[in-house]
Amino acid sequence: MKLTRRHFMSGVAVAAVLPLARPVFAADKGLIAIITPSHDNPFFKAEAVGAEARAKELGFETLIMVHDDDPNKQSELFDTAIARGAKAIVLDNAGADATVAAVQRAKDAGIPAFLIDREIKESGIAVSQIVSNNYQGAQLGAEEFVRLMGEAGNYVELVGREADTNAGIRSSGYHDIIDQYPDMVMVAQQSANWSQTEGYEKMETILQANPDIKGVICGNDTMAMGAWAALEAAGRTDVIVVGFDGSNDVRDSILAGGIKATVLQPAYRQAQIAVEQADQYLSSGSTGQDEKQLMDCVLINGDNASKLETFALTA
Amino acid sequence: MRDLFTPLAILSCALLPLAGCKIVKNPDPEAATTEAAGTTDEARMAAYAKDIWADKVLPVVSEHAVPLTELRAKVATEGLEPAGAAYGLRPEGEANPWNFAATGEGVIIEANTASRAAKLMVDTDADGAADVTLQLGPVIRGTALRDAMPFLTFTDFRDQIEFAKLARALNDLANAAITLPEGDLVGKTASFEGVFTLRNKGDAIELVPTRLAVK
Repeated sequence: MKLTRRHFMSGVAVAAVLPLARPVFAADKGLIAIITPSHDNPFFKAEAVGAEARAKELGFETLIMVHDDDPNKQSELFDTAIARGAKAIVLDNAGADATVAAVQRAKDAGIPAFLIDREIKESGIAVSQIVSNNYQGAQLGAEEFVRLMGEAGNYVELVGREADTNAGIRSSGYHDIIDQYPDMVMVAQQSANWSQTEGYEKMETILQANPDIKGVICGNDTMAMGAWAALEAAGRTDVIVVGFDGSNDVRDSILAGGIKATVLQPAYRQAQIAVEQADQYLSSGSTGQDEKQLMDCVLINGDNASKLETFALTA
Repeated sequence: MRDLFTPLAILSCALLPLAGCKIVKNPDPEAATTEAAGTTDEARMAAYAKDIWADKVLPVVSEHAVPLTELRAKVATEGLEPAGAAYGLRPEGEANPWNFAATGEGVIIEANTASRAAKLMVDTDADGAADVTLQLGPVIRGTALRDAMPFLTFTDFRDQIEFAKLARALNDLANAAITLPEGDLVGKTASFEGVFTLRNKGDAIELVPTRLAVK
């Protein structure tokens, strides 16, 4: 019964996908599903673009889907990937706990998953989990923030989405540095859910209650962009803002004298590595790497911002 | 924020001892982690770090330690990759930097012991310029101590948070092991053993000492 259905569905998948991909690429290694959060955030778009480019170079077809940070939607996308007979799934997931079941379901269906950017709370289910060294990166950002603040002053922290391990780890990395400086005082700490709009709104409100702030440290660049816009609107361009991700938007703001610093995650390369490991795993049964792999981050400020392009530093 | 993660940690340890506390797979730390289970990541990792410090961490440093002058010469003449392959320690995976264990001795050129990130700048090749920074802490940069340990593998830990707390706990132990003599240290001789991460050939060496004597 199960077999029959899978054969039927993979037939559907081939019929549905081939006409799109065949004319351009000699894709004969099968389909890789690339699932990320919404491409509204250029970080996730860079992941999808990087993974897709590498997959096509290696002879795969691709199916790009977004889960919008909704675990239910992610679950449906996994069903789609399974139904269409994907050979592998490259995933930036919708929650460290909620994703475990979906990845397990793919594994049970014989589809290996290669995770990027965000971890899940279990090992032994995904084949690879390749994540930025968020702790190391957050410490770099915090050291720069403390330096810019002159080791003293009131500051605000905008935290990412709480279901996401990266929100916690970055906050932890920030505080392991900042809390060692007794004259750095955190007057507000709120989640803006990685969102630019929420970053703007939260910053507006916080600023009204705490006009005496000197700096804002953010868990990602989109929240930093939102916070900076709110500070600009309030005429508070004296406030030091530091982000995390290394987006082109924040690069441009740094070069224009707005936001002061961010931390680059090598998102583009990370997505490519995931596809390379998928390819190697599918052909040899092993990636040759540990499941969980860390990639170091790089501090971006006025000195090197001009070298940043689409989540990669040019030489 | 932290409050939100604590119940998760407690839950995963209480209900899923095998999945949540994978770390007990390693020899030895079982007693400490069980004892500290149900507390924070920070407390569990501090207990684990304490367990492995004398029996496992310090021996790895001593066993792999290379004279710093020899190591610097190798990096300078042959490059970072050959030096790393010969003496380095690093986890698997692309873009993981090399860590080195090294010993050395030299004259203290500059000492900043007032800062939270206290440092000694030491000249080990008698050219009058400092060539290594000894990180005394309590603010110690980086995760060299953790990443140089072949028996500490990220996959064995629940997530980056737990793994990060371990790095911090090891740095704290390094800091706690250091006692400095009173008074001006500049001009005195420091002999040390420790680890550092080297990302690029020309980068400054910021070593975390596991042993330090100043006289």
